[in-house]
Amino acid sequence: MRIRILSAAVCLAALMPSSVSRAGDDLHSRLDRLDAELRQQGEIIREQQKIIQALKEELNRQQTRELTQPKQETQAPAATAKATGFFGGNVLTNPNVGLVLDTFAYTSNLEDDELENRGIAGFTTSGLEPRQGFNLRAAELFIFAPVDPYFNLYANLPITEDGVELEEVYAVTTALPAGLQVKGGKFKSNFSRLDAQHPHVWDFYDIALPYRAFLGDEGLGGEKGVQLTCLPAWPVYTQFGVEVLQGENDLLFGADGASGPHAYSLFVKNSMDITDNSTLYFGPSVLFGKTRTTGIVDGEEFAGDSALYGLEGVWKWKPDSRQGFTLQSEYLYLDQHGDLTDETTALSDSLRRGQDGFYVQGMYQLGRWRFGARYDMLELFADRFELAGEEQELGETPWRASTALEFNLSEFTRLRFQFTHDRSGRDDRSNNEGVLQLLFGIGAHAAHSF
Amino acid sequence: MWKIVLVVLLTFTGASPAWAELNVVATLPWIGSLAKEIGQDKITVTTLVKPSQDPHLVEAKPSMILAGRKADILMYNGLDLEIGYLPLILESSRNPRIVPGQPGNLDCSRYAQVIEKSTSVDRSMGDVHPLGNPHYHFSPPNMLRVASGMTDVLAGLDRNNGDFYRENFKIFSRKLEQRLKDWQALNPRGKKFVAYHKLFEYLAAEFGLRIMAYVEPKPGIPPSAAHVEGLIDIMKSSNPAGILTTGYYGRKEAESLGGKTGVKVIILPADVGAMEGTEDWFAFMDKTLTSLP
Repeated sequence: MRIRILSAAVCLAALMPSSVSRAGDDLHSRLDRLDAELRQQGEIIREQQKIIQALKEELNRQQTRELTQPKQETQAPAATAKATGFFGGNVLTNPNVGLVLDTFAYTSNLEDDELENRGIAGFTTSGLEPRQGFNLRAAELFIFAPVDPYFNLYANLPITEDGVELEEVYAVTTALPAGLQVKGGKFKSNFSRLDAQHPHVWDFYDIALPYRAFLGDEGLGGEKGVQLTCLPAWPVYTQFGVEVLQGENDLLFGADGASGPHAYSLFVKNSMDITDNSTLYFGPSVLFGKTRTTGIVDGEEFAGDSALYGLEGVWKWKPDSRQGFTLQSEYLYLDQHGDLTDETTALSDSLRRGQDGFYVQGMYQLGRWRFGARYDMLELFADRFELAGEEQELGETPWRASTALEFNLSEFTRLRFQFTHDRSGRDDRSNNEGVLQLLFGIGAHAAHSF
Repeated sequence: MWKIVLVVLLTFTGASPAWAELNVVATLPWIGSLAKEIGQDKITVTTLVKPSQDPHLVEAKPSMILAGRKADILMYNGLDLEIGYLPLILESSRNPRIVPGQPGNLDCSRYAQVIEKSTSVDRSMGDVHPLGNPHYHFSPPNMLRVASGMTDVLAGLDRNNGDFYRENFKIFSRKLEQRLKDWQALNPRGKKFVAYHKLFEYLAAEFGLRIMAYVEPKPGIPPSAAHVEGLIDIMKSSNPAGILTTGYYGRKEAESLGGKTGVKVIILPADVGAMEGTEDWFAFMDKTLTSLP
């Protein structure tokens, strides 16, 4: 700034020489000034040469550095282009979409109408769904994607021959502190183990007997509600969970069991690595609420309170990626009391149930093959079924034994053969089932939990 | 006395005092090894996948989720290699520090120069990684890039030790340049190999090997008898220097092929720690390159 004023003054002085003083003085002083100016400019040029030199050196140094060091500048645009999202690198504007086809061929020594009426006395009046020959369980459509930095959204729509069901659609938080997570919408409860799994993840084509007896063919299924879970940063994996559910399962609650949400669950899941190759996973859970259902005894409606207690345990041994063994077991106990009302006569009696069931199954994997067996039974320790204060004689103890052989052509194709000897009908007629199941998956697939 | 009370209080409230080490969770062993080179004793490293495990086929164990819960930073290979378990760990660990978009979510492939990016791919082609070949830990220049990126991220999260990390990176990069000369001096350039899986493409690109055929007909698909027959014919006519495979899979197939053709089977470590004498990344590369004929 000062220099500019100075040079402006010099220019002014040069323009108006005569007005200042005599001609001789003027010439001398002008020469002096020009001299000084020249010296000054020379100085500036030398300064600039120094800067140019320094810049050249800096440039050289950068070029050598570029040769020996990673080119981060050139990497930067590529980095933003392929930043990996929550579910991998290929999520653009569309959500992840996947489809699982679950289809099977079924054969049994029983006729279709016998299968249809094969309920379990004292537990459920519902018979078996499969029919002799070809069956299509569902084409399960999965859609999922992050909503924003705070939520992921999942939807599961099984498409059956009867239409599309909205089995699950829920949002999960991803940014809550303190190990908290909230899930809301319609979802499969984390009460017990098989409930939370999709049918295509099961190790056998059908659900274990205690689930069928207490909750129905598909387990509890999708329930509307909210779930809060917490995973504290403890030395051992311990997850706590609580759920408030609408309670619409036909067998255990019934949509009009009470107005408003009328089912609740609590659960704890623990896990530890026993050795480098084996992991134990276990936990208790309880599901309780108000019940109004016609599914327990034919032609009668039950209204009352139910509490289903569960205990799950899984042990997995995986010495390498090609081999492994899984042992899994669950125990369920139902405590139910209320009134059983005849739908035609409207006469009612008190009903008290204290019944249990369990299953144990083992699966061995070798390469693309898996082989396993399952034993499930009801009334292991408890068979209380008191109508008007009197214990009822319901018949033989229900049990089943199954074996399955799987061949996985790839991660996305599974071929399963299963044979089941089913004695759950409480009579001496056994149901010998043979099932050939085919599962195909296309598109994106969310990772399965442990 | 008060100091003890303070320490106890801090421990129980879960507050992290200034002297706490940065808790790094790495999916694969090489990532853990690289992090250790840069972070040294200023970080603790938990590696989720064992060196003996096939990184494509890993199940998210609850212990991995718990490790993610406690992580300050999660470092992973990327390019969808961990697609079968990483999303589950990210979501189930309920840790906002490590979700995508946070500095604690470090996708190492961001810094790598990736080869074999597919423009059009579907699953009939087998287990192809559409974002490019994910096994870039066989490439020294890529390791230098990743280590540099790792240094920036660590220094960003733990500013007090930024100079320490940068100094370690300089040591690492000098060591790498030195060792690279040794490895190049082994000169496997131009030799032909048959490989079991598309695992050694970066090794081939960096050191000039030629991988002429694969035992797997398609990535992740085990070979059929017909494919093996065809392979034997090719191998008899072109006489490769060896069959490259790893300890965790493909060994049996490679050995049977080696027996039929008389071509030597070369077992390379798939990752750091997969074989004896591969305890860090440098030793892993040493083992890999000295195993080649």
